[in-house]
Amino acid sequence: MNENRTSSRDSWADRRTFLKATGTGVLATGLAGCIGTEDGDDGDGGDDSDGGTTDGGSSPDSVTFGQPASLTGTWDFLQPAASAATDLAVQEINDAGGPLDAELTVDRQDTAVETQQARETVRQFVNSGDVAAINGLFSSEIEPLWDFLQDQEVPIVTPWPGSTFLDTRGGDKGTDDMGDDEWLWRTVIGDTVHTSGAARGMLDEAGIEKMAILSATSAGEQGWTEQFTDWYEQLGGEIVKTVTAQEGQASYQSQLNELFESDFDAWALSFALEDAITIIQNWSDGGYGGQLLMEDGLRDTALIDEVGETAEGAWIAAGSTQGPNYDQFQSSYQETSDEDLHTWAVAAYDATNVLALAVHHAGDTSPEAVQQSIGDISRPEGTTVTTFAEGKDALDNGEEINYEGAVTDTDFTEHGNVWGDVVVERITPGGFETEFTIPADELKEEIDEY
Amino acid sequence: MEIPLAQEVIFGLVIGSYIALGAVGFTLVYGLVNMINFAHGEFITIGAFAGYLAVVVAGLPLPVGILVALVATAVVGWGIARITFEPMNETGAVPLLMMSIGLGFVLRNGMRVIAGPSSRRVRLDVATYRFDDLGFFVTSQQLLIIGLALAAVVVMHLFLSRTMLGIAMRATSDNEDLALVSGIDTRRIRNAVWLAASGLAGVAGVMLALSQGANPTTGFGQLLLIITAAILGGAGSPYGAVVGAYLLGIGITVSVEFLPSGLTELNATMAFVVLIVVLLIRPGGIVNTEVRTS
Repeated sequence: MNENRTSSRDSWADRRTFLKATGTGVLATGLAGCIGTEDGDDGDGGDDSDGGTTDGGSSPDSVTFGQPASLTGTWDFLQPAASAATDLAVQEINDAGGPLDAELTVDRQDTAVETQQARETVRQFVNSGDVAAINGLFSSEIEPLWDFLQDQEVPIVTPWPGSTFLDTRGGDKGTDDMGDDEWLWRTVIGDTVHTSGAARGMLDEAGIEKMAILSATSAGEQGWTEQFTDWYEQLGGEIVKTVTAQEGQASYQSQLNELFESDFDAWALSFALEDAITIIQNWSDGGYGGQLLMEDGLRDTALIDEVGETAEGAWIAAGSTQGPNYDQFQSSYQETSDEDLHTWAVAAYDATNVLALAVHHAGDTSPEAVQQSIGDISRPEGTTVTTFAEGKDALDNGEEINYEGAVTDTDFTEHGNVWGDVVVERITPGGFETEFTIPADELKEEIDEY
Repeated sequence: MEIPLAQEVIFGLVIGSYIALGAVGFTLVYGLVNMINFAHGEFITIGAFAGYLAVVVAGLPLPVGILVALVATAVVGWGIARITFEPMNETGAVPLLMMSIGLGFVLRNGMRVIAGPSSRRVRLDVATYRFDDLGFFVTSQQLLIIGLALAAVVVMHLFLSRTMLGIAMRATSDNEDLALVSGIDTRRIRNAVWLAASGLAGVAGVMLALSQGANPTTGFGQLLLIITAAILGGAGSPYGAVVGAYLLGIGITVSVEFLPSGLTELNATMAFVVLIVVLLIRPGGIVNTEVRTS
């Protein structure tokens, strides 16, 4: 009995020790993620730097753009192509003499797509005084940092965010008054456009009236799901079931089983790439069948490599990757990089060109002048140009220009957004084949504010 | 006639199998080395990459690949423990814990630097066996994973109960000082524990490489469930860890059936509700008492 009591007490002690030590570990792990990132608000706000190394209005020796990048973290597989496309743009810009006849450089810093790290990176860019503008930032960084970014008063042109948060935020509001400017522009089509396009495509082109959705819980995937559901139901379709799941699971069979207990014409998948591959394998193993529609973020050659055969016949709806300058860009890109190209990389090329032309148009690197020039060099008025070299020549000749990009025509709306066609493609073992296209003009009729 | 929840239970057994092998190794280290090894997930990741290299790159048959991963991870895990944990064995649980956290970061990011972030999958031809009248299906891969885990548990049981080394391990786990004065070489026991725990992690890694692929966070992603299974079963008890792992797995999959549409992501949370309830009713975990008195 005594032995048993002692054993029981030891057991209690062991458990207390175990839980205490585990708790300490979890706390330490959490703290490790915070070290060096939280800095309070002191020192925030506008910086007096004029960006770049210009001095009193004279031509600078160099112009630098800051590029917050996903060098590590969940989305790091997207960065190599974006970096390669940015570097290609920089090379072409410098070959053409550079903005303000200065050498353009990009200061690329890792944010791991984490809010605090992104905040510190932006703060460093601004405080250094060397950065004329910023080329980057993801939706999940922009949304929580929105007020902070506005306080910095530095122009940001980013190829990443699809978030609906930016549908009515950003841009210059179509006015010359700096007071209403919101300092952020995006060169990639917003989720609102391609989810509405996907919904319209399913209903009008494919005749699918009932759908189910399997969705991750991350902000981007949840946002896609909510947007798609809203548009699909608004246009007359019915979402019969939505099953949500946390990312990173070894198997999603139970979620698929739950989803396929309902009756529907097609199902949509909104997950990041690695989990999507696992789910598609599970779907195939379970023999569930049905027409699959995937979100735009999965349009990646890795999807074809991993499950091109398994997912043959599935659809993927994404904003068109091919703008007016796409062929020219692609040809140059293939000569300089082997990285698999994706929409955001092409948009990074456009963002770099937009900023360089804006600097050249502005005549100096002050944030206000660059911000005011972004709309001027990209909107439909003026001579159409598709490269920095063409744009610089036209500007030097005193012409107004309209830069047309590689992924869209880069005609910024008043909120700093761009339009584009939505393409629904069919997956084959060899790649993506266009199934049908929903023109941007049709979508403009549906979307009130963007 | 369909068997209610049969399909969900099968899925739960699969998930429980992933967790079980990790949890057994984790809890063996806790019981015998008296440390919480937060780097255990990285040992699983090493196993996943070893399995990928053996099966996909070297083209070995899967059973050989599993064996290679087991041995390779056992040796690497033991080597890492010799270099990092053994020299500070006398410093106490918290310094060892901090070391394991740091080691986990280093290994995880080191593998990311070397191997990159993307997953490498081990492909199998999968056959699906359907029992529509009974309301479930099972795939050859699921049977392999469940069978592999059960085989490993049986081998572990025979090792702990039928070999002198296993019995010495149990004795050391119960009372290291008494084991020492009884003539048991506890240093040898610790070496054996690291080899066994790492080897089991290697097998778990191969199973994960089959299902979700090998990437730098493959094992880390399972760590919370592994720790939970170990606590649920009774920290330090390998048998308890197995029971805890399968309870967790089944809890995670069955709860999907009952959660409302749009809230199914809470299935993992339901597993932790089970943990809280069990700990409130039985603070020593599910089988802790039995193991201690046996």
